[in-house]
Amino acid sequence: MSLPASLVAELRELLGAEHVVVEPEQLRVYECDGLTGHRAVPELVVLPHSTEEVQAVVRACHREQVPFVARGAGTGLSGGATPVAGGVVVSLARMNRILEVDLQSLRVVVEPGVANLDVTNAVAGEGFFYAPDPSSQQVCTIGGNVAENSGGAHCLKHGFTVHHVTGLTLVLPDGEVAELGGKALDPDGPDLLGVVVGSEGTLGIVTRITLRVVRAPEAVRTLLAGFETTDAAGAAVSEIVAAGILPSAIEMMDRLTIEAAELAVVPGYPKGAGAVLLVELDGVAAQVDEDAAEVERICLECEAFELRTASDEATRALLWKGRKSAFAAMGRVATDYYVQDGVVPRTRLPEVLRRIEELSRSHGLRVGNVFHAGDGNLHPLVLYDAEQGETERARELAEAILDACLDAGGSLTGEHGVGMDKACSMPRMFSERDLEVFGRLRRAFDPEGLCNPGKVIPTPRLCGEVPGPYRVHALERIGVAERL
Amino acid sequence: MPSVSSLREASETLAAAHVAGRRCRIGEDLTTDGLDGILEHEAGDLTCTVEAGIRLSVLNAALARHGQRLSLDPPGDATIGAVLARNLSGPLRHRFGAPRDLVLGVTLVLADGTIASAGGKVVKNVAGYDLGRLVCGSQGRLALIARVSFRLHPLPKAARTLLVETDEVPAAVAALLRSQLQPSALDALHPGRVAVLLEGSERAVDAQLAAARGLVGGDETGPEVWEESRMRQGGARGRVRFAPGDLADVLAGLSEAVVRPSAGVAYTLEELPSGSEPQSADAADAVQRLSERIRLAFDPNGVLAP
Repeated sequence: MSLPASLVAELRELLGAEHVVVEPEQLRVYECDGLTGHRAVPELVVLPHSTEEVQAVVRACHREQVPFVARGAGTGLSGGATPVAGGVVVSLARMNRILEVDLQSLRVVVEPGVANLDVTNAVAGEGFFYAPDPSSQQVCTIGGNVAENSGGAHCLKHGFTVHHVTGLTLVLPDGEVAELGGKALDPDGPDLLGVVVGSEGTLGIVTRITLRVVRAPEAVRTLLAGFETTDAAGAAVSEIVAAGILPSAIEMMDRLTIEAAELAVVPGYPKGAGAVLLVELDGVAAQVDEDAAEVERICLECEAFELRTASDEATRALLWKGRKSAFAAMGRVATDYYVQDGVVPRTRLPEVLRRIEELSRSHGLRVGNVFHAGDGNLHPLVLYDAEQGETERARELAEAILDACLDAGGSLTGEHGVGMDKACSMPRMFSERDLEVFGRLRRAFDPEGLCNPGKVIPTPRLCGEVPGPYRVHALERIGVAERL
Repeated sequence: MPSVSSLREASETLAAAHVAGRRCRIGEDLTTDGLDGILEHEAGDLTCTVEAGIRLSVLNAALARHGQRLSLDPPGDATIGAVLARNLSGPLRHRFGAPRDLVLGVTLVLADGTIASAGGKVVKNVAGYDLGRLVCGSQGRLALIARVSFRLHPLPKAARTLLVETDEVPAAVAALLRSQLQPSALDALHPGRVAVLLEGSERAVDAQLAAARGLVGGDETGPEVWEESRMRQGGARGRVRFAPGDLADVLAGLSEAVVRPSAGVAYTLEELPSGSEPQSADAADAVQRLSERIRLAFDPNGVLAP
């Protein structure tokens, strides 16, 4: 399917020919995002520079009924920015200006192509920071963060993107522009802002974002504890939470991921550890002191065999080094890996980890576990060798792990999103009625289905007529929802 | 006034109205008084799931027995469903946010009787559209909120309040917001007073109180000032939204108000048009039209219309 020549000419006229990509070799750059297993070459890529240009592009696509997909840095892990064959990719890379820093209001206004870390960089000199910190924060964009409702290691205490966006300019799929929220919170009416954040680019294209920035804490303390087993480390996490302590981050790595990290970046983690726990506390100094002492006591009581603490930036970076390199380090122990993203209620972590171990054995593939233990967000790394024909088995194992998460009352995805990757898995978590209502909401924004089609909600074309195996929804199991 | 006591009953009642083309206003023609149970409280996960007819005070009394709370403290004692539908919050909004910041999942009954759930009961979850947030502020126009899962917080071990009497409210507020103190509540009781709630361990609260006094002066006072704040908020006749940096200008135009400066919201004695933040008429119209399309998708026959 090729686009009408008149549309291409019109877009060239609108944006300037240099901002309209048509060369096949150049289009290939956009064929996938961080989920490289899904690829589609777009017909056309446009790089608008303003809300008005995005609006003009969307109006033209709407008039011609051509599907379009917005794209930031392309670091997403669920295929949310995978192009639609025969469609247009709207790259927001050129819209990378920080428009306003208003620290009197604790707000920063940015365009969607601004990198996450650049927001913090813009306000750090004044002692502020932007809290959501996905691990790709040096390159991933705020627009992508808004689409995915990105979290990060420190969202346990500070919250997700949705807690830090106060206003959005949204180009709707028909080209109308809506302003949602602003610098003030609590606008009248339903929380449309809260719906658009995390909607994975399916409800429109965001062109301007007002963010809340936070005063940097008086004190930050990082503790690293080595345990014999993940069970022991898990027990420590439970005790920390039970003590009423809310760390900014609680991260765990298991033996395999520790070993890989040692091979890759030599963080010098406790020798022979079956699990390493990283706990970071921030806030007023007196509280951090007290909580840190309590966390230490709890870790020792739960049989940590080694404890390290750091309060200055350099030593903290050292403690985090192994964790931050964990995904990349997997290259040292396997040729290929798939990162799963599932969530379980935190108290169910130990049993789910044991289940993952069983699944790993029965599938004959290794699984490394590195995760946000504080909020039950698991990132099992399924290791395989594509050349040995293990890809399909790896996919099955990753799916089985997801089932284990759902069985424990959790979620399909904690931060990577549904995108292309998990659209067909949605019926495992949501009933047909739930999905039908999701569809109503989506059509209210995008009646023609032009905006990032094929993502989030399963379609027969994508998933076949038979929906995935029905599983009891977490809310249903506890009697919160029932099927009538 | 019929009160429903099960999801099925709510679904059947609304479906009948939908088919008959009859109106069935939530809170008036149909109430959730009988739908008021705590379905699950996982203390170890700091989450709970409740039926939406439960009163906030009842829920918080039950949670307190486990040393936890739902960190919402709006005036009055509304049901959880009303707290969401009317987007109610109180002084704790400063640190813990509005209902939309604490909702993890919902079960809704749409006007045609469709029962749908979104979100879940885990604190981190990005699967599917966030209908839980959508219904926050929806005034009962989109669906009946039947069940809600929340994120909870531990009850603080200690809490103390600083009250600052000053002619320079904006300056005191700015100093506090720029500081590294982490108050749980920060209200300007215009004219002339700023109240700061400090929570945490005893030693940390003492240290924060001393630091706050060093910064803006004032004296410790009892928790009754928060009762006053809630009372005045509850009795307010107008609401102004503003960029937090414009606090001084906003206060200059008001005789009396309870102000949550970090949120940019003032509850005023005067009757004022709500939402004073400047916005182009076109963009505001676009939001209006979008909201209307969503309403029609959820309730095509206008069953829930006021």
